[in-house]
Amino acid sequence: MSAELTPLRWPGNWKDASALTLLSDTPINCLVADKGALPESVAAQARQKGLAVVDPAAPPAGVYIAKGEWPGVPAHQGDTFVAGPTGNPWVDSNGWKVRLESVRHPGVRVWVDARPKDVVSPDSYPLALADSAAYGGRWIISLDDRFAADVAQGKADALATWKKITTAARFFDDRKAWSAYAPEAVVGVISDFAGDNEEMSGELLNLVARTNQQYRVLVKNKLSPASFANLKAVIYGDVTPPGRAVETGIMAFVEAGGLLITHPKWGIAPGMRASDQDNDRYVWRTSGKGRIAFAKSAFDDPWEIAQESVLLISHRYDLLRFWNGGSVGSYFSMAPDRKRALVQALFYAGRGPEEAGVRVAGNYRSGKLWTLDGKDSSLTMVPQKGAVELHLPAVVQYAAAELEVE
Amino acid sequence: MLSNYTRREWLKSASILGGACLAGAPFARAVTAAAPAAPVSVARCRTYEPKELLPVMARMFDQIGGVGKLVKGKTVAIKFNLTGMPYQRLANLPLGETHFTNPAVVSAAVNLIARAGATRIRILESVWATTDPVEEFLLQANLEPLDILNAAPNVEFENTNYLGKGKKYSRLMVPTGGYIYPGFDLNHSFADCDVFVSIAKMKEHSTAGYTGAMKNCFGNAPVTIYGDGAGIDEPSAAPHGGRGDCFHDGRRQPSKSALQEKDTSTPRLETYRVPRIVVDLVAARPIHLAIVEGIKSMTAGEGPWVTGAAPCSPGVIVAGMNPVCTDAVALAMMNFDPMGDRGSPPFENTDSTLKLAEDIGIGTRDLKRIEVIGAPITSSMVDFAKIRAARQANQLQQQSGKRG
Repeated sequence: MSAELTPLRWPGNWKDASALTLLSDTPINCLVADKGALPESVAAQARQKGLAVVDPAAPPAGVYIAKGEWPGVPAHQGDTFVAGPTGNPWVDSNGWKVRLESVRHPGVRVWVDARPKDVVSPDSYPLALADSAAYGGRWIISLDDRFAADVAQGKADALATWKKITTAARFFDDRKAWSAYAPEAVVGVISDFAGDNEEMSGELLNLVARTNQQYRVLVKNKLSPASFANLKAVIYGDVTPPGRAVETGIMAFVEAGGLLITHPKWGIAPGMRASDQDNDRYVWRTSGKGRIAFAKSAFDDPWEIAQESVLLISHRYDLLRFWNGGSVGSYFSMAPDRKRALVQALFYAGRGPEEAGVRVAGNYRSGKLWTLDGKDSSLTMVPQKGAVELHLPAVVQYAAAELEVE
Repeated sequence: MLSNYTRREWLKSASILGGACLAGAPFARAVTAAAPAAPVSVARCRTYEPKELLPVMARMFDQIGGVGKLVKGKTVAIKFNLTGMPYQRLANLPLGETHFTNPAVVSAAVNLIARAGATRIRILESVWATTDPVEEFLLQANLEPLDILNAAPNVEFENTNYLGKGKKYSRLMVPTGGYIYPGFDLNHSFADCDVFVSIAKMKEHSTAGYTGAMKNCFGNAPVTIYGDGAGIDEPSAAPHGGRGDCFHDGRRQPSKSALQEKDTSTPRLETYRVPRIVVDLVAARPIHLAIVEGIKSMTAGEGPWVTGAAPCSPGVIVAGMNPVCTDAVALAMMNFDPMGDRGSPPFENTDSTLKLAEDIGIGTRDLKRIEVIGAPITSSMVDFAKIRAARQANQLQQQSGKRG
């Protein structure tokens, strides 16, 4: 990673360079400000202190800035939450963007520019930070005006929250190696993620992530046989045809036993055998050892495709299975030597669940649990057939289970 | 056995009742005689291990007269209970050890029923607000559907919360006319079976006081017709939400394609409606074999969402061929009075499903008329009534503390 910076968007109401003292003993080493927004006196002193000063219009080498949303469960009209199609609260997360841009821009650190639209809850700051960092990105720490003013004025509550934010930043700064962990996945989403396909494929990633189905981002022009390793299925939803090489790669995956989920435009080729699995939404064909599920109509609802893909693949192959997790997001990755697994869970509902548990596929001999305060604790691990169940203590926004592979 | 109504006579009447329903014909027999009684078997069973469970259930089936005559050459439907979401559980306990019917009990029943000669067994449940196959729902709950599917040949699942694998809904009439509904449009599986089995969990219920073999059948009704998101004119294609608006509170009617409520001036109270609707459903789709498993369970209510819910291990199973008798014995084993009604535990605020079922002649709840075979009624390791009383006293104390 060429740029190991921990960025802070300099609050507009921090007019005085004395506010730089707030950054002492924190991992924040980079100020982000639009051109002309940072007082020259502040910029000069920041540089003197060794801080980088970045105009987001011209990010430093090794950094890609993605526009993001304020993560969490958006609340509207008091306590009323926006419901998703299942009736469960809708969750905004930038994790999929970090992962997509990390694949599209290998070797760069993805920064997420997601600013609070208004005054936000203090607890949502550490969550915003974790929502990018868990997936290998960095959130440009961005404070709402009132909170920034309170911090500058040294109000105790605000300083306590500020401490939590910087502690969380330190937590991820101390664990840069996690960014090199590779995603464990059951399904791959294949697209060029561009042009006419960009919106659908992006939403597909976003909504597959919401199912907690572990996925791999597969960019069309970067596919290799290794891209399909350990996957049970791939989804191809681009309106444009895959092209011969991509099609060959996908069909090799199917012939070897994989599942392709796609739309009618792919076309049923001669030699694909009928299957008795047809249902209202999909026509099934077999090819080699694998299967193809052709949607009967065009892919126009990414939520539906994401939900259906879980069933088409089957929960039998869930890599992570949560209980009492509430609005939970997750990322399961493995160290390059595959001796250590990492399960990161993000709880978006503002308050962490009690008595949450997660089943992790695979065999593990030990594990420890980390929270954003940097403290580790032992983990209750209940062995199961081909898996282990982890019982999580009450945590607030984030927990990471680091597991030693058996 | 104190009853003057033999098991053979009861089985005959049950089959007539079932046959009449399947034909869709109204059954107008006036209920004048005492409600029938049938033997109920009680057994201690501490684990879900097949080596303990299977012989226990085999002995229980023998004690109630054997299931061979009931199921030989027949298609059997087994309704079990998977209330709530697969990803919500009590503490960190497996769902089958608190509020779901444990699949091991279903597997054992499937195995024994198949060995007794059933030709086909279909496992039914209306899983929460989804068209997902029951198998997928079980997997999400960390339960293995293959344990049930492989317990015997010709076993299959069906999600009955919508049309499912059928072409149309089947109308099953309430032979006695019904308390609330004169009949129901149900998934085809409820009409396609010759024998209907209800396997429930031994639990209290936050609305109905007690949930057992009969209350399990509340879930027979598809929410595409009787749910909060049911279609107005026709059933919706997929289930949405629960049965709160239609069944619990009577705020809406089922889809117009189905039979509507008999009298919309009746109380719009769930504690009035739910017990009556359960009885209507049980009358429309009679239960031939009722099993209430209380090997492991929970107190306070039907699921982890109920305040005060706590796990418990009664270590018992109850089975019989009359659902009212079976539920009465199960209730007694929880240390509640099955002859109780609104005002007495666990029916403090609700009408008793058992009494309403007895009133229309489905079966007696009078323990003096029920032959209990096997372990004594005092076998349960858990005194639900005592725990309930302590919990209520504690709640009262907390409330008075707050007021003070």
